[in-house]
Formats: sequence, C-alpha cells, structure tokens
Amino acid sequence: MSEDTIGRREGEPWIGRGLPRLEDPRLLLGRGRFVDDISLDGMLEAAFVRSPLGHAAIRSIDATRALELPGVHAVFTGDDLRAACSGPLLFEATLRGRQIQTTRQSVLPTDRVRFVGEPVAIVVADSRYVAEDAVELVEVDWDPLPAVVDENDALRPGAPVLHDNIPDNNFGHIEFSHGDVDGVFAGADRVFSKRFRLGRSMAAPLECRGTIARYDAATGDAEMWATGQGPYERRHSVAAVTGIPETKLRVVQPDVGGAFGLKGLIYPEDPALLVTAKILGRPIKWIEDRFEHLAASSHSKEMTVELEAAVRADGKLLGLRARYVGNAGAYAQLPPTAMVDALLAATMLPSVYDVDAVAYSVDCTLTNKCPTGAARGVGWVPGQLARELLIDEIARELELDPAELRLANCIGPEPRTTATGLHYDGGSYAESIRTVLEQIGYEDLRREQGRLRAEGRYLGVGISPYVEPAVFSTAYRQATGFGIATFDTVSVTVESDGSVIVRTPFHSQGQGHHTSFAQLAADEMGVPVESVRIEQGDTAGGVFGLGTFASRSAVIAAGSIAAASREVREKLLAVAGHQLEIAPEDLVLRDGLVTVRGSPSHSMPIGAVAHAVYFGGPAARPRELVEPTLSATRHHDPPETYSNGTMVAVVEVDIETGIVEIVRMAVVEDCGTVINPLIVDGQAAGAVAQGIGMALLEELHYDEHGQLLSGSLMDYLYPSATDVPAIEIDHLETPSPVTAHGVKGMSNGGTIAAPSAIAAAVADALTPLGVKIDRAPITPDYLISLLGEGSAVEHLHPEGHVS
Amino acid sequence: MTPEVAGVIGQPVEPIEVTLSVNGRDVTANVEPRLLLVDFLRHNLGLTGTHVGCEHGVCGACTIRFDGELARSCLMLAAQAAGHELETVESLSDDGTLHPIQQAFNEAHALQCGFCTPAMLLTTQQLLRDVPDANDREIREYLSGNVCRCTGYMGIVAAVKLARERQRSARPPDRS
Repeated sequence: MSEDTIGRREGEPWIGRGLPRLEDPRLLLGRGRFVDDISLDGMLEAAFVRSPLGHAAIRSIDATRALELPGVHAVFTGDDLRAACSGPLLFEATLRGRQIQTTRQSVLPTDRVRFVGEPVAIVVADSRYVAEDAVELVEVDWDPLPAVVDENDALRPGAPVLHDNIPDNNFGHIEFSHGDVDGVFAGADRVFSKRFRLGRSMAAPLECRGTIARYDAATGDAEMWATGQGPYERRHSVAAVTGIPETKLRVVQPDVGGAFGLKGLIYPEDPALLVTAKILGRPIKWIEDRFEHLAASSHSKEMTVELEAAVRADGKLLGLRARYVGNAGAYAQLPPTAMVDALLAATMLPSVYDVDAVAYSVDCTLTNKCPTGAARGVGWVPGQLARELLIDEIARELELDPAELRLANCIGPEPRTTATGLHYDGGSYAESIRTVLEQIGYEDLRREQGRLRAEGRYLGVGISPYVEPAVFSTAYRQATGFGIATFDTVSVTVESDGSVIVRTPFHSQGQGHHTSFAQLAADEMGVPVESVRIEQGDTAGGVFGLGTFASRSAVIAAGSIAAASREVREKLLAVAGHQLEIAPEDLVLRDGLVTVRGSPSHSMPIGAVAHAVYFGGPAARPRELVEPTLSATRHHDPPETYSNGTMVAVVEVDIETGIVEIVRMAVVEDCGTVINPLIVDGQAAGAVAQGIGMALLEELHYDEHGQLLSGSLMDYLYPSATDVPAIEIDHLETPSPVTAHGVKGMSNGGTIAAPSAIAAAVADALTPLGVKIDRAPITPDYLISLLGEGSAVEHLHPEGHVS
Repeated sequence: MTPEVAGVIGQPVEPIEVTLSVNGRDVTANVEPRLLLVDFLRHNLGLTGTHVGCEHGVCGACTIRFDGELARSCLMLAAQAAGHELETVESLSDDGTLHPIQQAFNEAHALQCGFCTPAMLLTTQQLLRDVPDANDREIREYLSGNVCRCTGYMGIVAAVKLARERQRSARPPDRS
C-alpha cells in the first residue's frame, strides 16, 4: 500500500500528520494502569488525619482508641516518622536569586496547622475502609487561632501571622520598572485604571492523587508508584526530605488520569508514606479522595490585579503600571512556589502590545488556605483578564473598536525583547487577530448585536489575543526570575532487531507523548513510527530531566530526540556503508531501509545493520566505530519560545437570570510547527474548556475562618458537555527560529485566553447597561448583583439583589 | 464525632453472600455490607476499567450498566447488585480488538488521559441505543453526566457521531 490510513506516502515525514494515538487502545479497552489499579503483595492502605480548622495549634494527638480498632496497624505522627529517617521531613520553599522569604512546611506538623485538610497523622490499616474508621477515632486537641483568608487583608498590619519568620505574611515582594513610566503617565492624554480579582480555582484532574510506597529493609531500596508529571522531580524531593539516597529510590509513574500542573508539585503525603512503609516493612497505598483533593492538594490563580494604562487620545498605549497581589495559601508550594502565579502574570504584562514604559509590583501573600501552585494557565490567566478587560474599557471610553485598538497597538511578527525582558521568537500576533475576526465574521456579529439589542437581547463579543510562554527552560527561568538552571535528557537506542527505544524523563498525563515523540523519532531516525517505543515514567529505566509541565515536553523532546537520533543514525549509516561498501554520505535511511542514493534496489534493512553491530564483531563495522553501541543520550535546554494566538468568544447574557450562554468560541492558534494536528486540536479544545470553568463556574470558597466551603463536586463545578460549545479552531504556523523543527510548545493558550474572551464578551454584551466586569468567575448571582445596581434593569428586580 | 457513631466503628459485621452477573458471567462472593459496588468490581473482581473520580456521584467515571441502565457504581453497595446483571467497559471487547465505538474514540481523538473514557464509552453505547437520532445538543445533554477534564468534549462528540455513522452504514437501510 503506497498510502496509509492517514494519507502518508512512504518516505514522507511523520511530523505534521494527524496520526491517531498509539497509546489509546489500552485506555479504551479498560486496560490502563493507573496507580489505584496496582496492588502489591502484603499491601496495607493508609488514610490521613487532617485539620478541620483553618488555623490552629495542636495541643495533643491521641491515637489510643484508633489503635484498638481491629485491622489497624499503626498511627504515626510527624515525630514518629522523623525518628525513623535521617531526613528533616520538612519542605523549605523559596526562590533563589530574589528577595523572597522561605516557608517551612513540616511533613505532618506536630505544633500547628495552617489550612483545612493539612495532614497531621497517618493511619495504616488492612483496608481504606478500616483506615478511615480509625481516622475518626484519633483525637486531636486543637487550639483554634485567628485566620486570614483574603490576600489584601493578609497584608494589613495586625493581620493574623501564619509564619513567625514572615511577620507581614508576604512571601515575596518584587518591583520592576522599564522605560520612562512616570514621564509617560504624566504626559498622557488619558489614564485608565482597573481593579480585577480572579477567584481561586484548581487543576482538579479527574483522577485524584495516589501513591504506593515500598521499602526493602534487606537492601535499603525504596520504591514509589505515584501519580506525577515526571519521576525525577519526585525522586529528588522525596529523597532529600527522607534522607534516602536518590540511587536507593525508584519512582514509577504509571498511567496518570490528568494532572494539569497539580501532579508535578511536591506534597507531604509522599515522604510520609515512604517512611511509614519503612517502619512497617509493608507496602502502603494511599489513594486521595475527592474531598482531600479539593481541600489539600494544590489551588491556583487567586489574585487581585490593579492596572493603569497611559493612553494617547488616538488610543496609542504609552505605558502600563500594574500591581499583582497573589494568594499563596498557607505555604509556598514546591516547585516553583506560588510566585508562579503573581510573578508570571507580571512578566507577561505587555503581552502582544507595543509598550515600552512598563512597571509592576508583585506581592505573594500567605493565607489560611490550601497552598497554591502551578496549574494550567498559571497567573497568566488573571493577568490576561485584567489587561484585556481594561483595553476593552479604554476602547469603549474612546469610542474605538476593540479589535482596531488592539491591532493599532500590536507588535510586529519579528522576534523581539519585551519591556519585561522576555525574548519572543516571533509569531503571528496581529495576523492571528485578523484571521480569527475573519473566521468568526466579526462585522456580521456587530450587526447582529445591534439587531438583537433592539429586541432587548444582550449579545457580546470578546477578543483575547495571547502569548503563551511555551517552555520552562533555563532561559525562561532566568528571564522571569525562577532561579535554577535545568535540563532534560533523552536517550535513543536502536535494538538488535532494528526497533527503536526512546527513553525520556517526561510523563504523559494525556498529552499523547507515545505518539508525538514517536513521530519525531521516526522522522529523525528514518524508521516507521510503529517500530518506535517511547519509555517514560520510571527512574529505573529513564534519563534525567524535570518532566512534563508548562508546555515544555514537545520542544525539549524535539531537540533532544533530534540530537540523539542523529548521532545514532550516523553510526548506523557508518556500519551500513561498511557492509555495502559505499560511503555513508551516499546512503539514505528511510522507513527502516538503508538504500544507496540513486540505486534503490541496493539496500539493507535497519534490522540487518543493527544485527551486524550487536553480533557481527569488529569486522562488521568500520574501524573508526570502536564501540558496538547504537545508543546516544543527549540533553536539551532550549532558548525561550512562545506560542501565540487569538480567541474570540460570543456570548448571550440573560439579564433576568444572570446566566451567560457561550454562543460561539473561535481560536486561531500558532504553535509553530505542528507535530500532530489531532493532538494539538485536542489540547487547544481542552484548554478552552478549563478556561470556561474559570470564567463562569469554578471557584473554591472559604469562610473568614479558613473553612473550606467547596468540598465536593457539587460545590466546585466542572464544565460539562453542555457548558462547552463546539470550539472553532484554526491554525497559523510561524515556526520558531530557535527550536528543533520550529516546534513551539502549546496547551496553556486556551486556558489563558478563554476566560478573558468570555469576560470581555459579557462586558461587551452589557455595555448598554453600564456594567463593568471586575471579577471572575462570572456567576449568575454576581451578574444579578451588578445588574441590580444599574438603574437600567431595576424594574426587573424590584425586590433588590437576587442571590 | 458522636459517641453513638464511635460505638459502631469496629463492631464485627457478618458478610453478605451475593450472586450476580458481571459481563455475562455469574459471580458469587462474600462482601462486607458497606462495600461499594465500584470497589467490589475493581478490587475484588479485578475489573479496573471502571474508575473512581469523586465517590459522590457527580463525575461519572464509575458509570456501569446495571440491568441495561447506566448507573453510578460509586453510589451503590455491592450487596445491592445481588441478583442483577452488570456490564462494565470490559464487556465491549475482551480480546484486545477495538469495539467500533472504541475505534471511533481513537480516530476522533476522544480521549487524552483516558480516565473518564471507559465510562464515556458505556454512555456512548447507551446513547446510540436510546437516542440514535440525537442532534449535537442532545448528544451533549446525554453526555453531561460524564465529566471529561481533558478534551473539552470536542473529540467525544465527534466520536459519537462517527460511531453512529459507521453503525448506520453497517446496517440495512430499513432498520426497525
């Protein structure tokens, strides 16, 4: 067959093909292997005793009655665990190279808790059922302390203090200024300002966290099977706090049911489980339940943003000033601390706009809530919301079209350094705006909007151009202030039958690495995609790297697979040349066959070449190829690279119920060279759905004492199939000049852009009613409260606010 | 916790013998009265294709078919299944070949992490039986009891339609 099911002819590249995913069958057949699907001989199950209070001192923990329960094996506090290991069982979180404080989070604290759900003891029993019974019987004498939950309250003098070494509750304060900010603000025709607050949301993958820990006293070898986003980060952190050498700790990450950043973070349960397994000499399993997940894993994005824009009378943006106050929760969460929200929001302040005078300040406050950490879209989401809503308000005030105002201020397509010090590698910034407006029929929509308004219906259009930092590499860390240097490695090996193994430190949580990495390797090696096997998720068989987060895997995999494959292919061709008595330069390796250029019948299958290398002895290979190996391990740490795109949301607001219906959602995205369009579209749509959640549905509420009010999925609302419209996706391709194949990472874009597109569309719809949007999620009760304040609809709600 | 509840914890409870049909096979087992049906399927029978996402009936990852109707196996006790017929994702195919619905999910990229997928497949199968002529809105309504956190439902809706198209073209035009 000359053409396969995806339309690829022999010899054509795999990159760019919408190859259906190679990892799907086992997941479809119900044969996935998630952590709760694993059971080990002699395994016991654990549950944690957790704080029911937002802030409290611990007077005592009494496990007497729990230990009397049949089937209970142990109840350990932090002191018990610390006595049984050489590590500190303490997370010290800071950011190197910045004026940032350090929070100390004890694994199972014995003195004080700082958020609802913080674990203070581990209970081990024959089953989770019995372990949960025993949790009820552990008596903790709590001494409640005053709590603080709001990020702005936390900064006020006299606020309850969470950490004695941080008396102002401010984990990090950073100020930045570039250009003549004061000058442009003093000389501007107009200055506009906006205060915006995004509520607390979370990644909330459908599979909660889970870990199985095992310790072999005979060898001192420890093993963990755990949900995660890359096994090395977990091994590094758990080894450090337990005192177990990294060489003695194997971390396996099986199939992962979604992660979105949350499962790449470091949590106290893992070291607690490992030390408990060491004490008891039995494997211990802990599967997080949904309440634990909502209360005590990782939250995200809660932030107050204050923005000011200096504007010329014709709409030219002259300067931006911003203040970002993030809400870190009780501890800075590793890696890379809660600054991942506020600081990354700040560094993205200019986005696609040509503004030279930019100043920002960042604060990151500690509060009696679950720690916040990296989750899809991070602080770019509130930053984008505040900026784009302000730009719409400027357009409205100056009576300019919001699309025209954006285009008039948009940067050009060439690489540039932003005022905040990011090095864009070029993109279709303005072109994506024009393309999506054309795709959605912008002019027609405006006419439709006018027609519906005359009928008393409120249709709105929101435009959200975005730039997505697409690889968390050393260069990006340095540009944004996230300290440490990092790299990731990939090894490529051709086995003796000619099949190819690629070992990576990344870990797919649904991104389709087994397919897109195989496409990359197939092209680089010149083999069929079916003969490539991707191995990941196990420190025993892998190579070092930080794993999968921040849209980094595709870019780093492309670079490192390219480097390693080229090295191996060179060796293969040298041997083939030796065998065929032809100069290697005259050989072509394609679809697993080495052929002589211009003489296709003169060939050798890759398996025969590999067999000669493995078993042919020195005579089978050229003299200069001393080692009979077909393996190469290469690292990659790419320069900064940025995807971009523009999203448009069309909504209709029912001003009686406050319900927002998303009528249309269109995105034109540009992630450079597309490896697999099927996967890219899937990531784009999934990202938009999570953005819809943040825009309209998802919020974790606490009361003023730090009590969590959103402890179930009836309170924390996922977008369902009826909340997400059909998403219209189109692509532009501006290959990166600085990455292998021109690949830019993607998958955060939709989450960054969708909330602001939707919020802007709601504000646009309600323009005749004089309503401004200053928070999200935009819930019906929030809209009703806004509309109730306006005189235009007072007659609809004579009784006042509906809530 | 009240003293009365504390008094109940740890009291010995007699197991209950249950006989039920799972994927066409009869199963007899002794179960604790409080054992959740989903835990029974996953851990006692080893049918780990059915997943647990919330344990309170919202996410739909534990969806199975119970006497021909979709049901949340996290909201039922194993004891309640005695005498009933259950089907899980493992009923779609047991020899490694993909069922046409599974094939459509693969081709339309209807899964990413795969955690919601087994339940989504059963729901799709039921949808195609119950409302074979569903329009897009009705398809989304039908699927709305199953949360997918990864795909934005785009590939899933496409897969439902692809599977339906294939099903129709495989059948004689005059189906009744």
